Amino acid sequence: MIFREVEDPDLIAKARRGDVEAYNLLVSRWEKRVFNYLLRLVSNREDALDVSQEVFLKAYQSLPKLDDPARFSGWLFRIAHNEAFSMLRRKRPETELAGEPRPADLNPRLLPMELSLAVETALGRLSPDQREAVLLKVYQGFKFEEMAEILECPVSTVKSRLYTALDLLKATLAPMQRHAVRGES
Amino acid sequence: MSCISPESKPDWKAYVLRELNPDASREAETHLAACSTCHEEVATLRLTLDTLSALREEEIPRRIAFVSDKVFEPHWWQRVFSPTFAAGALVAAAILIHGFVRPGQDQVDAAVTKAVSQVEARHTKEIQAMYELLDVRDKQVANMYRNAMLSQ
Repeated sequence: MIFREVEDPDLIAKARRGDVEAYNLLVSRWEKRVFNYLLRLVSNREDALDVSQEVFLKAYQSLPKLDDPARFSGWLFRIAHNEAFSMLRRKRPETELAGEPRPADLNPRLLPMELSLAVETALGRLSPDQREAVLLKVYQGFKFEEMAEILECPVSTVKSRLYTALDLLKATLAPMQRHAVRGES
Repeated sequence: MSCISPESKPDWKAYVLRELNPDASREAETHLAACSTCHEEVATLRLTLDTLSALREEEIPRRIAFVSDKVFEPHWWQRVFSPTFAAGALVAAAILIHGFVRPGQDQVDAAVTKAVSQVEARHTKEIQAMYELLDVRDKQVANMYRNAMLSQ
């Protein structure tokens, strides 16, 4: 097991005292995860980067309000969630945000692998709430309780969104994967 | 074996997502080993999760970094409670307290005078004792000389 020389709570403590370099180190540890989460939510690289910067700026300003540094990741993703949906509300009509399925509009050049593109498309067909539940659980590894805190909703709602999303993804992806496996054999 | 009713089925999504507690997970595995229907369902869920993991993670186009700015400057109380400042303040306070509580110059002079007089008195006593000793020895030498003369 590899131990970090400085743990996140140490960096958070330093950043709270105004140490910008400590905060930059903390950002470097989390920026890729936050960026990818936002990228799948807003489906645009420039927007995802802009929102990522907003997230880390807001996180820095709100660090004194973070009660438990050990729960930094959930707290950070809650800020990311709020910023992403705030941006989507500004940029898109309410009706579209409400959950109308839409294709992924990522540049296919960025996703050269066929399977990755298929997953991207399948995720793009989910509602924003369902997609976010998958992102937080499958790609970020949060527990149901943590997701409920990030999304500010009951655990039952989290499970409902995630389970519906998994059923939809299963229907889309599993047959394709089986076909691919058969094709290989 | 296959499931009698949907209610008797374990929560397979929670199972593959590792959200079941150890007891529930063991029960689910026992059921899974004997139920072909559930075995198929779990296999499909796992296949779906495996496929989802194929999504490529994107590199961030530009690194995010902040420079020290007004926005980042700490409040005065944050500076006060920083370790470096606190250590400096502690040393300064110690010097200040020492300045206040140390004895005045008059007290120091009196103590020195007293110590010097004690040393002088001790030396005087030692010299007196030495003279007395010499006097005794002189008398002894004189007596020896007188006796020697008389014996001749």
